[in-house]
Parts: sequence; structure tokens; C-alpha cells
Amino acid sequence: MEVLERGEAEFHFIDPDNFRKYVRERKNRSWEDKLMDESEAVKKFVSDGDYLAYDFSSLTRGPQSLIREIIRQRKKHLWICAKFTLLESVLLTGAGCVDRIDVGFLGFGPYIAKKVQNGEVKVYDWSNGSITYRLIAGAMGIPFIPARDLLGTDTFKKSGAVVVKDPFAGKPVALLPALNPDVAIIHVQEADVYGNARVYGPTVATLETAMASKKVIISAERIVETIEFRKEPNMTLIPYYLVDAVVHAPFGAYPGGTQGYYEMDAEHYLMLTSIAGEDEMQKYLEEYIYSVDSHDEFLEKRVGMRRLKEIVRKAEILEGFR
Amino acid sequence: MKSDKFTDTEFMICQAARLLEDNKTVFIGWGMPQVVAMLAERLYTPNITQVFEFGAIGPRSRTPFLRGTMGGPQNTYRSLQWCSMGLAFNYAQAGYIDYGMLGAAQIDKYGNINSTMIGKSYEKPKVRFPGSGGGNEVASFCWRTIIVMNHEKRRFVERCDFITSPGHIIDGKRREEYGLPEDTGPWRVVTSKAMFDFEEESKMMRLIAVREGLSVEEVINDMGFEPLIADDIQTLEAPNEKELKVLREEIDPFGLIIKK
Repeated sequence: MEVLERGEAEFHFIDPDNFRKYVRERKNRSWEDKLMDESEAVKKFVSDGDYLAYDFSSLTRGPQSLIREIIRQRKKHLWICAKFTLLESVLLTGAGCVDRIDVGFLGFGPYIAKKVQNGEVKVYDWSNGSITYRLIAGAMGIPFIPARDLLGTDTFKKSGAVVVKDPFAGKPVALLPALNPDVAIIHVQEADVYGNARVYGPTVATLETAMASKKVIISAERIVETIEFRKEPNMTLIPYYLVDAVVHAPFGAYPGGTQGYYEMDAEHYLMLTSIAGEDEMQKYLEEYIYSVDSHDEFLEKRVGMRRLKEIVRKAEILEGFR
Repeated sequence: MKSDKFTDTEFMICQAARLLEDNKTVFIGWGMPQVVAMLAERLYTPNITQVFEFGAIGPRSRTPFLRGTMGGPQNTYRSLQWCSMGLAFNYAQAGYIDYGMLGAAQIDKYGNINSTMIGKSYEKPKVRFPGSGGGNEVASFCWRTIIVMNHEKRRFVERCDFITSPGHIIDGKRREEYGLPEDTGPWRVVTSKAMFDFEEESKMMRLIAVREGLSVEEVINDMGFEPLIADDIQTLEAPNEKELKVLREEIDPFGLIIKK
């Protein structure tokens, strides 16, 4: 195949055979109870320098309690996958956890923009679609996937994609390198202790991200018996053998919402998006993350029952979520 | 309520909503496009199918529009299908999506748009924006892309500082030559002062209509390049009372989008 053009960015890549080998040796196919608290899960499965992926967004069903735990444990030199996400990249960058960001959508607000403008964090521009396709390739166990996005643009030039002459139709086509993250963190409505998981609502790239990643931490609003999955197998999104840890995390997406459980806390969200300077950011991190030991303590001391009751009260739409 | 007083955003929302066709599919992004689709669905195109990148196909708009509803119960209500982002983009890549709607920080005369950064240095941009999101896919895959943006001189440039999403001709080459799907591309540009299409042969942006009360000259003076000018310039009528009433009382009573 004739290579017509190459994007210039470095990109995270694992040879599919190396990934298969990892899956064979390290992904646990035994029915083992993987329930643990978020501190243990992050300690065991998130390492400095990891490529980290997360799913959905800080508005809806995002793994916010796990993000906060990663910040609390002061992980360093992460390379993060900011696809269809909003504030995760802002917080992780503010906490100094991040060196590099693959951008689908960088995140909101003046804080993260300033970090990029000052060259304090390195960004690689892709797009939500191309990063999703890369995860799909990673989940399929193939080295790359052809697609017709990015073509012709500066987004392509700043990505790690290549353009080749497609041997079938004879036209230029983009080849996107597979993405196999070191670790994925995913929040779901229901999981069992083995890691079987299901979500209600749109799925973004939940399954692809879990399949493509070496280590997977699931946090769940509710822990259910395995029979729940066998009763409705159409609803199983993630089978247990993809998963390394299961964390019981009610309100795990706070300040975002989780369908069927609670709405987002708009006030807290606004406070976060309005953070512009370093002082405000460090004050936020101290107040809401460093100064509490756990998600439980965060909910008790920094959010409180009154606020939680309010966001549960607002979650009136249940159609499709139960 | 007086209909002669409205914001630029309200003006753009109404123009864009009048452009959509019924019984078509439309890829909807964050913010203003959501409100455009709601208004169109309510007044003009009751059978339009909205498609959202996170994986919601054909939701029924719930009003009022609330902050941060991207992907939550509010804007996925009564969908035909909930699916993955991969599938949502595949629908577009395979040709099932008629319209896409995007904003832009900069645009050039061939409809290339920038939503990534302003400045000469990519490594140290003067201003950094969120980047493509799903914009690159929308502009690459949808049959007709509508771009909605404020009409300011600095936004209309000879060459975007960064081409996030493709227009018709990029650095001298037609989009098909890069491998982008045939017969796709920017279709209309709706601004706070005017509307443009792209001339068939040259693929250059062409002024086709100006806002009621403005002259062609006033519109062009506020651009960083000179567009083609159609022989017959239409007038863009102001939002009417019905549109404003629905927008202000039903769709966005909190003014989250329309007051911007």
C-alpha cells in the first residue's frame, strides 16, 4: 500500500500480538470476587506513566470518584485520552498528574486552555470519532482501522494517522493506529463482584474502551447478583473477564449525573468550569480531594445529604433506565 | 413581547431552524445546535431525526433546555435507539445523515473551519479551544453541513490558523482528492448578519442573503476576505413572534443559549 502522507504526532501503540499475550497471561478468566475500595483499585491498577482512558463525561456517568482517587494518590506522568469528556482533563492537569493529552475534546474552561497556551501540557489533536475508531481497532485486536475522517485537515497533520491509497477503491483513506490504553476507568449503573457490568442509556465507547485496555477498573452505583445478567443477557455490556477491579461507588459520577439515579449538580459543575487561575484550582483540589480520605468522606463532608437528596429528587425520568 | 428586539443568537437560531428539511436526519452538537433542532422540531420539521455523537438516535426534545444535558436523560428522552459513538459516526460515514450543524471560531472562503487554536505556533497557541470534538466527523461525513457563527471580521480569514474540519478546497486541493466522501461539505453559513452558500464551480463562499436592515456592503466590510456575491440577494427576515415565543417561553426560559 502506498503511503501518501503521515501525521507527525507520536501516539500510544501496542503491537496486537503483545496485547494478545497480555490478555492471555494477565486477564483473569476465573470467577474471582474483584470488589475492593477505590483506594486499593487505583493503587493496584494505575501506575505513574500509564496511558489512561475513561468513558462518557463529567456531565453524565463519568468515573469521577476514580478520577478524584487518582488525583488523591498523586499519580504522575499520565498520558490521557480526552475523548468526549469535559472536566476530567482539567482536574487531572490541575493536579499535575498529566504530561500528555490525546484530544478529541480538550475540556472546558479557561484553566486548561491556559495550560496548553503556556506549553505546560502537551496535546495531540485527534477527534472524538478518530479516537473512538482507534479504540475499536484496539478492541478488535487489529493494528489499525481505515476511516474517512481527519482527511485534508491540520487535525490530520497533528495526529498520528497516515493516509494511504486504498487498495480496493483506489482513493486516499486514513489509517488510524489501534489504541490500547494501559488502564481504563469506567462508571456503570450495575455490576456484579466479578466485573460483569451493564449500563443504561447511550454507551459512548464503554465496551470498546474496556476491551482495548490492559487494566480495567469499574465503579458501579449498585452491586447486583450475577443472575441479573443471566436473566437479561441482551443488557450485558461488559463481561467479567475484561475487568480487574470492581468498586462500589454510589454517586460515583458526582458532580455529574447517572441515568436512573441522580441528576448532575449544576452548581458544583459551574463552580468547576469557572476555575481560571492556579490558586483557585489548587484551592478546589485541596477542599474537595486532598483533604478527604475517600469518596465516602467526600460525599459526607463536602457534599452532604441535603445536596444528594436534591439531585436524586431531580432524576425523575426513568424510561429506559431500569 | 416585542419581536423587533432579539439577540444575535436568537436571529441565528431562527435562520438555521428555517433551513432544515422535514423527514431528514441531522447530526446535532453541543449548545446552540441543540436549540436550533428543538425550534425546528417544534415549528417546522416535526419528523426530523436528531443524531447525537454519544449514541442517541431520534430523541424527542424535552423542554426547557437545561444546562449540561449532553447525554443525560433530558436530551436522550424517548430515543429510537441508544447506541455507541462508533455506531453514531458510522451512520454518518455510511451516508445516512443528511445534515450536520457546527460552530466555528474561524472560517475561510472554502468553508474550512477552525475550532482548535488561534495563533502562529501550534505548540504555544495564543488561544486554545476544545478542538474537534465530533466536528471533524460531522464536516467530513454529513451530506450537508450548516455552519453557524457570529459575524465578526476576525473570524473570516484567508487561511484558518488551524483547519480542524474540512471545507470544499483545502490548500488548493478539492476535498474529494483528499479522499473525503463525494458531494459532501459545507452547504450554508449562517451568521448574525447574513447567509452564504458555496458557488457550484469555484466552491467559493457566496453571499446569498443579508439580515433585514443591513446592506451588502455592511456585511462584507465585516469580513476578512471578499466572498462572491449572488445576483439576487435575499433578505433574512427577523425572528417572528411565534419563533421568539417558543424559544423564550418553552425552549430556553433560563436564557442559557439565547441570551448569549
